[in-house]
Amino acid sequence: MTADTIDTRLARVKAAIDLKPPDHTPVCLSLDYKFVYRYKGLKQADYFRNRGLGGRSGSSLFIDVFNELGGWDFVGAGGNTTRVRDILEAPMIIRVPGKDIPEDEVIQWEEVEVLTHEHYDQIIKVGWIKFMDDFYPRFRGYDPAEYRARIDARAVKELAAMKPGQEMWNRMGYPVQGGGDVFSPLMMLSTARTMIKFTVDLYRIPDKVQAVMDAMIDDLITLSIKACKAAGVGGPYGIPTKSVILERGGGFVYPLKIFERFEFPYLKKMVNAFVNEGITPILHFDSDWTLNMPYLKELPHRKFFIQLDSKTDIFKTKEILRDTCCIMGDVAPSLLSLGTKEEVGAYCRKLIDVVGKGGGLILGVGCGVPVDSKFENLKMMIDTAREYNPHHT
Amino acid sequence: MSELSSALANLEEEKVARIIKQELGTGKDSMGVLTELRKGMDEVGQRYKKGEYFLSELIVSGEIFKDAMKVLEPTLKKDGGGPATKVVIGTVKGDIHNIGKDIVATLLKGVGFEVYDLGIDVPVKAFVDKVVETKATIVGMSGLLTPSFESMKETVDALKEAGLRNKVKVIIGGGVVTELVQRHTGADAFTDDAMEGVEIIKKWSAKSN
Ligand code: B12
Repeated sequence: MTADTIDTRLARVKAAIDLKPPDHTPVCLSLDYKFVYRYKGLKQADYFRNRGLGGRSGSSLFIDVFNELGGWDFVGAGGNTTRVRDILEAPMIIRVPGKDIPEDEVIQWEEVEVLTHEHYDQIIKVGWIKFMDDFYPRFRGYDPAEYRARIDARAVKELAAMKPGQEMWNRMGYPVQGGGDVFSPLMMLSTARTMIKFTVDLYRIPDKVQAVMDAMIDDLITLSIKACKAAGVGGPYGIPTKSVILERGGGFVYPLKIFERFEFPYLKKMVNAFVNEGITPILHFDSDWTLNMPYLKELPHRKFFIQLDSKTDIFKTKEILRDTCCIMGDVAPSLLSLGTKEEVGAYCRKLIDVVGKGGGLILGVGCGVPVDSKFENLKMMIDTAREYNPHHT
Repeated sequence: MSELSSALANLEEEKVARIIKQELGTGKDSMGVLTELRKGMDEVGQRYKKGEYFLSELIVSGEIFKDAMKVLEPTLKKDGGGPATKVVIGTVKGDIHNIGKDIVATLLKGVGFEVYDLGIDVPVKAFVDKVVETKATIVGMSGLLTPSFESMKETVDALKEAGLRNKVKVIIGGGVVTELVQRHTGADAFTDDAMEGVEIIKKWSAKSN
């Protein structure tokens, strides 16, 4: 095996997305500061004290762990700025380690009713961006004008740091992907109203809910594209992407008639709009979406990929989407934190055997690398992707 | 099935409220009304098992049931229904995910269990204390994060230390929970499906009664 270069890595990832057989299965860990800090003996709260210096992609701490693990084929770089995140991700109460919860617990999002029925009416009237520009600062307890000025100033710095981040990874020999994420309208409302209240809304006032989503979708798309372009991921070794956060609209929660009306039309609109702009959508399907997978055949083939978290049946999905899109996944969080490296290796080999056959697999984890993963288990994922190559001819 | 039971099973919120008002108005006792509501919840469970209903319908029926209980509770005699199996439930220490746990708690109440919901981020000791206090025979723990596995294990260990382990059955639930987690924590069962959890608890309760 010849040594990897940025070109071999990029070719491998591109082949997988394009559903062509790569030289071997690409691997990518969605790593963030949580595992990095725990592994390096630091507290989760240290990250929040050090914001910006800490374990983000591109920091020296992150790069250390990345190298110790042996590195992977492409790296995340360039996301949403604060203001964009405020608008494209759900408004929820956040409990920060060292502040609201003990020093070494993981950050958590508290699900309480943040948006009410009155807010529905306002969103219908003014659209999502205008609504959130006013609502979000108030929800956090700030004056909107003061907050806006502050985060606009911060955005300049945040954006200025993105390009060098990408260039640094490229210099180190790794292609990057990035451009931030966006919640689907259903996911946004489900988390901001609470899943229980929102579900009742879907059964009691479906037309109102649809009107809200109709008032959101174009704003979400426009800002997503703008933010992705501003993040500047591109050039020969940068893949502009947009993660679409879909975690609650699937068969785990809803019958297809709800998915067909309240999730899929908006998802389709997003994917098509992003693809038209040269952006690769990453559909972040946490929880079980097995029932919904056939619908993805209606999306532009080989122009997006999906990320599964071990709850969706990845083997069935492969059969359904063999000619549609690449699948990233799906080593389970419990396996990474409690399993042995032999168990992890065996599961990864099964994925490569079945899902990786003919291409179309990026070995990975669902949502994010668990804070308490065993190092040897993560390493095993990477080693298996490199060394186990049953399809190579 | 009575009109009330099927109104609940069909998720007809207003009809349920109207019938309850009528029945209580014409002197029917609230225990009888509750029995009909429970039959409705059982029917919802049947439809879920057959794949006709989804989690969303469990949620909506649970909310209708909860609203109905608000009307019934003031007139329900405390021990009107005979001894019900007691379940202590909560989301474990270090974890604040409430939705899955809330759904299960509501469904358990819906089919007649006496549920002690300790809320979220529940310390190990609180589970043990509640079991001692109520003499509950079933403990349900919820968790969605990998560090919660340790909290679950600690809780099972503490039940052992308190000499309660052979008196209670323990079930763990949540989207990350697998057989591996069950083995690690020493729980008796695991599930990532509320209705399956209710079925397991029903079986345990039938055996012990
Ligand atoms: C929606 C979601 C989110 C939402 C909001 C969730 C919230 N309220 O906090 C958002 C986007 C904010 C989010 C954020 C994060 N998330 Co998240 N999220 C999810 C997701 C997709 C669904 C969780 C959910 O709402 N389920 C809905 C309820 C109804 O389902 P449930 O809880 O499983 O309960 C059902 C059953 O399990 C059962 N049940 C539950 N408890 C019990 C108890 C008993 C006794 C019984 C019988 C049954 C039972 O009954 C319920 C009904 O059927 C899960 C994926 C998954 N596979 O579970 C990840 C998941 C929980 N998240 C995960 C992660 C990593 C995160 C983040 C840390 C990521 C980050 N970027 O920082 C953050 C922070 C965590 C947090 N929540 O505080 C991981 C956790 C595992 C880990 N790595 O530790 C998961 C498992 C995804 C994954 N596979 O990696 N998340």
